[in-house]
Amino acid sequence: MSSAAGPDPSEAPEERRFLSTAEAAALERELLEDYRFGRQQLVELCGHASAVAVTKAFPLPALSRKQRTVLVVCGPEQNGAVGLVCARHLRVFEYEPTIFYPMRSLDLLHRDLTTQCEKMDIPFLSYLPTEVQLINEAYGLVVDAVLGPGVEPGEVGGPCTRALATLKLLSIPLVSLDIPSGWDAETGSDAEDGLRPDVLVSLAAPKRCAGRFSGRHHFVAGRFVPDDVRRKFALRLPGYTGTDCVAAL
Amino acid sequence: MSGVRTLLGLGLLVAGSRLPRIKSQTIACRWGPTWWGPQRLNSGGRWDSEVMASTAVKYLSQEEAQAVDQELFNEYQFSVDQLMELAGLSCATAIAKAYPPTSMSRSPPTVLVICGPGNNGGDGLVCARHLKLFGYEPTIYYPKRPNKPLFTALVTQCQKMDIPFLGEMPSEPTMIDELYELVVDAIFGFSFKGDVREPFHSILSILKGLTVPIASIDIPSGAGTQKVGQGRLGPYPPDSCPHQV
Repeated sequence: MSSAAGPDPSEAPEERRFLSTAEAAALERELLEDYRFGRQQLVELCGHASAVAVTKAFPLPALSRKQRTVLVVCGPEQNGAVGLVCARHLRVFEYEPTIFYPMRSLDLLHRDLTTQCEKMDIPFLSYLPTEVQLINEAYGLVVDAVLGPGVEPGEVGGPCTRALATLKLLSIPLVSLDIPSGWDAETGSDAEDGLRPDVLVSLAAPKRCAGRFSGRHHFVAGRFVPDDVRRKFALRLPGYTGTDCVAAL
Repeated sequence: MSGVRTLLGLGLLVAGSRLPRIKSQTIACRWGPTWWGPQRLNSGGRWDSEVMASTAVKYLSQEEAQAVDQELFNEYQFSVDQLMELAGLSCATAIAKAYPPTSMSRSPPTVLVICGPGNNGGDGLVCARHLKLFGYEPTIYYPKRPNKPLFTALVTQCQKMDIPFLGEMPSEPTMIDELYELVVDAIFGFSFKGDVREPFHSILSILKGLTVPIASIDIPSGAGTQKVGQGRLGPYPPDSCPHQV
């Protein structure tokens, strides 16, 4: 198997804590092609771990009824699929998720994940108010699962772009899955006038733009990277303890 | 000589329109309108976790367990891969809680995972993979492998993670006791019916002689059949399978 991007030789192996967009894609390809993981498996593990990260940042016993309500905003691609899984596990964990998923992907994975959420009585909003105060009042926190690394903001349609514009003005906590949607995954440019999440949940390993994250909590979630792959990409990940699938950085 | 047995439920908690609205605490498989006593229904919807801990878990019959599975697949559109991944992960988590690495003699602790020919075996493959990530040293014995992409992919994932697959089952219980600190029984699950065919009949006989602990995924393999009878793997009356975490 050849991968187009390997570790950057100019970075000392023990210091690498971030993946470039190309490396993240290469790592995923290795898991899918060499290790024969299914995409659904990885999305399920990431979504489950993301929900666990939310419970660590916002533990249920400390939350009021209103604070347990979570708006999960899902984009049309893989990041959105992870969001759908995250919402389902939040429901199982006794939070009260609501989903805004305006651009529904037609692929089977997204459709099945949507069905699972619908069957578990997770409401899907038909529109998102543009008045951010309405969101601040209705929900305790928002999960941003709109854009992942490698998806250009311009590629997603109007409703997602408008949703991101509204979320920039949010005053309740914001949790971004993998990268803050709209940030350049490499440089983190647009970090100033893009989303400013309180919590970043990096999936499997942090992406380069995470270096510019300045919110409250940064977690790595999704404990499935085999040791050999981690070494191949010269990644230094935080130590997971016990059976945790989430580690704080 | 009887050793410690741990039963591990497949468990996924499902809350949906067709099942009573429930608040989860632990991963468990639940069914039916009668498992919460009346005091729960009147509690105003706020579950006290301490009270919940003392609430008895209902045990499912084989038919009920199969019906839950069917609903998850047909109505909820879960895929086998998804549920198997969640099942195997939660079993590995349960095992790691029951037998934490720090409580075991070896570092890393050695575990033998015996996988049967069906979905219970698949759960075992997922479980072994997560045990490796949790710092155990699993070895798998998987004599009868279905020729389906789901299972071949799970085998590849384990092989690529350097989890060894034994070519043959150790023939004496003492050999297993010497090499492994824990055995995971992922041979038969709740769908099992009928006679135990080889090689599993011999395997189950060997497991009966073990002194190291056995953790069974979902049900102790062979339970519910007349042939297994008394001993460490029974007795359970036919047609009823305990199903718990």
